[in-house]
Amino acid sequence: MTAIREAINTHGLTEKQLSQILEKMLLARALSVRQRMLQRMGKGPMTFSGEGHEAAQVGSAFTLRPGVDWVFPYYRDVAVAVTVGMTPVDILRGFFARRDDISGGGRNMPSHFSHRGLRIVSGSAPIATQLPHAVGAALAAKLRKLDEIVVAYSGDGSTSTGDWHESMNFAGVHRLPIVFVCEHNNYAISVPWRKQAAIENVSIRAQGYGFPGVTVDGNDVLAVYGAMAEAVKRAGAGEGPTLIEAKTYRLVPHSSDDDDRRYRTREEVEAWSAKDPFVAFPRQLKELGVLDDSAEKEINDRVNREVDTATDQVEREPQPEAPTAVLHVFVEEQRS
Amino acid sequence: MVSVKEIPGAAGLSGDKLLDIYYKMLLARTVGQRERMLNRMGRGPFAVTGEGHEATQVGTAFALRPGHDWVVPYYRDIAVALTVGQSPRDLLLAHLSRADDISSGGRNMPSHFSDPHLRIVSGSAPVGTHLPHAAGIALASKLRGLDEVTVVYTGDGGTSTGDCHEAMNFAGVHKLAVIFVIENNQYAISVPTRKQFAVEDVSIRAHGYGFPGVTVDGNDVLAVYDASKEAVERARRGEGATLIEAKTYRLVPHTSDDDDRRYRSREEVEQWTAKDPLIRYRGWLKVHDVADERKLDELQERAAREVDDATEEAEKAPTPAPESALRYVFVEE
Repeated sequence: MTAIREAINTHGLTEKQLSQILEKMLLARALSVRQRMLQRMGKGPMTFSGEGHEAAQVGSAFTLRPGVDWVFPYYRDVAVAVTVGMTPVDILRGFFARRDDISGGGRNMPSHFSHRGLRIVSGSAPIATQLPHAVGAALAAKLRKLDEIVVAYSGDGSTSTGDWHESMNFAGVHRLPIVFVCEHNNYAISVPWRKQAAIENVSIRAQGYGFPGVTVDGNDVLAVYGAMAEAVKRAGAGEGPTLIEAKTYRLVPHSSDDDDRRYRTREEVEAWSAKDPFVAFPRQLKELGVLDDSAEKEINDRVNREVDTATDQVEREPQPEAPTAVLHVFVEEQRS
Repeated sequence: MVSVKEIPGAAGLSGDKLLDIYYKMLLARTVGQRERMLNRMGRGPFAVTGEGHEATQVGTAFALRPGHDWVVPYYRDIAVALTVGQSPRDLLLAHLSRADDISSGGRNMPSHFSDPHLRIVSGSAPVGTHLPHAAGIALASKLRGLDEVTVVYTGDGGTSTGDCHEAMNFAGVHKLAVIFVIENNQYAISVPTRKQFAVEDVSIRAHGYGFPGVTVDGNDVLAVYDASKEAVERARRGEGATLIEAKTYRLVPHTSDDDDRRYRSREEVEQWTAKDPLIRYRGWLKVHDVADERKLDELQERAAREVDDATEEAEKAPTPAPESALRYVFVEE
């Protein structure tokens, strides 16, 4: 309740925007559930989904200017992609490896989001390799004196990589307009955080790079939005990077190839299910009068319809034609 | 002359030990100068020396148990190698690529120290690559239940590498008996620290790995020894890693292939020359009556003689036989 008031008063979010945030979260959830279902039906090769991360992802991405700011997502960021503007059709084409997939022409793994128009930059599968790319994009924006900021996403496991460190350090030295968002879900696949780092909050590392780091409740979409809005403002004002650690939980296995019962107790998963970002947020909106039951149902119906329609459409679409296999590897010359 | 009573500010060291420290510093300085001279005379291929770093190097290495603790140095650590037990002859055999060079049989770059008995571990030339090795050695000691401590050295430039981060994080998670010594001389070759990191003291990064970090005056050998002793004791007690940042200055160019006038003002070098750790420590020894002028001069002459003898011997020693070129690559039966 107070969080919502603060969001409206401090950050100038309108009631319409609050509904949009909820709708993006619901859309991401529906897409994730759908992809996992289709994979189990044998219709898609593999799925990574982000159930549980929606508040962290939508709360952060909602602060960006789509098509202006640069987004370097990682594979769990379905909700980032849809918040910035990718459609369920875009996402499902990537999942089904269809010819018209905007991310990779049906060539890349699912959830390796890419969209030129929206400035979502394609990443590689190895963890954290996108972070130096993001820093390079931020350096380019700075050198060209452009009013662009860069957001780079990764999980808690990525913080142990050399790439993570080199990116943070370089961003600090050059005061780059970049926000690093760490979606801390306490597991790098099966490795728990206590085996990943000997500290409670990884955000404290930011002080070692000369910029601020904050830890927020990653299941509270408005807390994430608030921290991110501040970081984006800092970056835009030329004051340099911020590290945001959003503590959250992945409610599903790491991917369709993972059995999380081998490393997480069901009690733990249940405890976090009670903190599902969809529990508190709609209730808060209703308490404030931004949302009522019929409006909520309307949003839910719209989202489900959109995902159903996209699934039907994309399932019927063609795969890439075999002779195109070697396209999109090298720059192709324009022949007149 | 040498007193048995506690000398204030001597970190609990006896007079003999205090003079031993001075001698190691002198020896390292002399070996560094000699190698640079031999290189200019066309007798050695390359020289990378540590003039100015002697207090940092001797102060840290003096806290170790040679042959028991593991030492993973970087190329500037002539004084570390000497303190742990390598001789000027060992270093000059390597400098001149002689067959009997203990570090590599005349095969490696000079200043890539290695000595199996002294547990000095050979490193690779790329900066920072030895830090994960050190964390691995410390993990082995822990798994085997041994009370060995590993000390790994690197420069300020080493801190920007991914390897540094991965090594420190791993050491933190597993509470390893490893000490990371950053010899911060303010330049990674020509890159000043303000372009290397956006913090004043890089030691604060240790908090992000869950172990203590300290910054010490790297030109004060006893301050460095004191911090190192505490870190070694912590590590040996099983309390984990420590990061020691020793702020110092390289009084000479990066290597024999570098012209530091292109990136450092002569005024800056002169200011730091006035803070030369050898001059400073010599003054301290006199003020605290550990030794008089005559004794200190005598040590200096002894160091010069030892390096002269080692040079002569190393110059006369044979280079490796061509037919031995393929040896020491694989384990030999």
